[in-house]
Amino acid sequence: MRPQTTKRFSAVTLTIAVATLLFHVAAASGHAILIASTPKEGGVISKSDSTFALQFNVRIDGIRSRISLVRPDGSVQVVSINKQTSPNTLTANAAELIPGIYHIRWQVLAVDGHISSGEVRFTVREF
Amino acid sequence: MVQLLAIISFASVIMRAVTLCLQSLVIGGLVFAVCVGSCDRSSEKVEQQIRRLIVGSASSLAFATVVLTAANILVLMVSADLKFSEAIGANFVLTGGLCIAACLAVVAIVKSVRIWQFRTAALIPAVLILITSVMSSHAASRINHGALLALFTAIHQGATATWIGGLPYLWIALKRARDLETARELSRKFSNLAVASVAVLAAGGLGLGVAYIGSWQGFYGTTYGTMAAAKIVLFVCLLALGALNFSMVRGMQREDATVVNLRRFVEAEIGLGVVVILTAASLTSQPPAVDQLAVRVNSADIIERLAPRWPRLKSPDQQELNYVIAGRQQSSVPSLAKDSLVQPDAQLADPPDYLADREWSEYNHHWAGLVMLVLGFLALASNTGKAPWARNWPIMFLVLAVFLFFRADPEVWPLGPTSFWASLLAPEVFQHRLTVALIVAFGIFEWKVRTGRTDSTYAALVFPAVSVIGGAVLLTHSHAITDVKEQLLAEFNHLPLAILGVVAGVSRWLELRIPSEDRARPILSWVWPVCFVLIGVILLNYREI
Repeated sequence: MRPQTTKRFSAVTLTIAVATLLFHVAAASGHAILIASTPKEGGVISKSDSTFALQFNVRIDGIRSRISLVRPDGSVQVVSINKQTSPNTLTANAAELIPGIYHIRWQVLAVDGHISSGEVRFTVREF
Repeated sequence: MVQLLAIISFASVIMRAVTLCLQSLVIGGLVFAVCVGSCDRSSEKVEQQIRRLIVGSASSLAFATVVLTAANILVLMVSADLKFSEAIGANFVLTGGLCIAACLAVVAIVKSVRIWQFRTAALIPAVLILITSVMSSHAASRINHGALLALFTAIHQGATATWIGGLPYLWIALKRARDLETARELSRKFSNLAVASVAVLAAGGLGLGVAYIGSWQGFYGTTYGTMAAAKIVLFVCLLALGALNFSMVRGMQREDATVVNLRRFVEAEIGLGVVVILTAASLTSQPPAVDQLAVRVNSADIIERLAPRWPRLKSPDQQELNYVIAGRQQSSVPSLAKDSLVQPDAQLADPPDYLADREWSEYNHHWAGLVMLVLGFLALASNTGKAPWARNWPIMFLVLAVFLFFRADPEVWPLGPTSFWASLLAPEVFQHRLTVALIVAFGIFEWKVRTGRTDSTYAALVFPAVSVIGGAVLLTHSHAITDVKEQLLAEFNHLPLAILGVVAGVSRWLELRIPSEDRARPILSWVWPVCFVLIGVILLNYREI
């Protein structure tokens, strides 16, 4: 093989290697972890409890975060986040909770710029 | 749109790794110019190349920051349903803007002022770049002790950039040094700078480790902790190389000293340093160990997983694999997508236990381990000079590539129903195919070198370069395992493999690049085959059950 051809093949191989490396780079987990929530994961609440609270391990940009409520019928309602009184907690209110299984879908922007998301499942019962 | 967001999120992680490397080059270059560069005032060539590298790095960093910031704005707008005017108020946009401004300032300064005229004020944009990096680190979002953690992060990253980021500039300066006296002075000054940087880096790293890991169980029981442990091991390897360079710099006081060896070891330090920075980038994407309280692995799990057992040399039946069982169940539910590589398990009547899939994976790893063990012993035999036939050991890489091509993804061609081209749309399959292509190229190159079919320097360097890159791949990649505990236990196999791959690559690189009469050469020639033998042993003990 001519030296120029060898050099070219070497460059191609190294390019494939770097591409493989870039494709394998770990997916971001995000920095924000939910450390406490109201209601708790799998919790049961009455239909009069309409305040949700999500507490994280890091400071959150509440203005650029989002909370959605997935109702028992599958409809999704974006819930307005209340003004933050704590740098790592988000609160929101939801009205007209009927009995059934709900999911709170949260997506938060941590102050360091990382986006994390998750879900909390809870049940509403008639008490 | 969901797939586009996933691609953008993935790309932003890559960009984060790239920006950390470029940041180190920019800061390292400016510090080098201020503290060391004045030694060689008369060399136009040296100055030109250093300026070019600093300007190129700063321009690339600015571009990468634009791309990263734009990608994150897009993700935020789409996923949180925000307007552009709302999204650009985020902290990361301000941080990105500051970084870009600092990079442009670096370009302007370097283009208008001679390197040896740089004063401390030239470091101001470097400090700004460092501040923007700290603002996007864990420290920026911590609730308690944020300022202290920011300080530790700044000194840790700054010292890393000064040392590792400065090495390429040292290499350039040594290559073009006009005489031995100048080379000595450059090396001596950089050596002093590097020693101070290592001390500061270690102090900052210790502070961050205590704050973010918190306990021994955090160290071995979380992904963050094990990645940090891998980074520490690589740092020790870097220190060893640095110590060798340090003694070489002292040795340069003799009249007959040359700089060739020093440059070669600097090359190895650069390669290892880049891997450490990539590991750090991967760490910044993980939540700290102190926050990962819910899912941790305990020492009993680790001991049980790593306890030696006889390897699995018999494959499970392909018909027992989950994709086959799921396919049979799905054929009775027409609404589910056909020919999909992703099976919606939740919709199946019987949830899969994945036992056969894990047995299949163990079998693959164990046979790969056998191949690597044979390869390593053949390479050792070849080194003795008494077994000329053993020089064909790189052919074992082709054996490994064929094995992986068939076995890595049983649900796709040639073993499964999904066609070759359709299978490339699945990211994990694409990664495996890319890896197989790499192993084939790698094996062919090294075989040609070993059998004297090519005397090209470039061909010989492919093997160590790919070995280091392969190690970096293992250090930074994520597993497609949903169980977090299983993911972490898999890391206990992959991280030692990664470190051995990097050490093998560095030792082979040095063996090829240092003069043949150097006393270190015979030692280095035994290091990388031993690494391959150890890789084989670790693979043979790989467990998922």
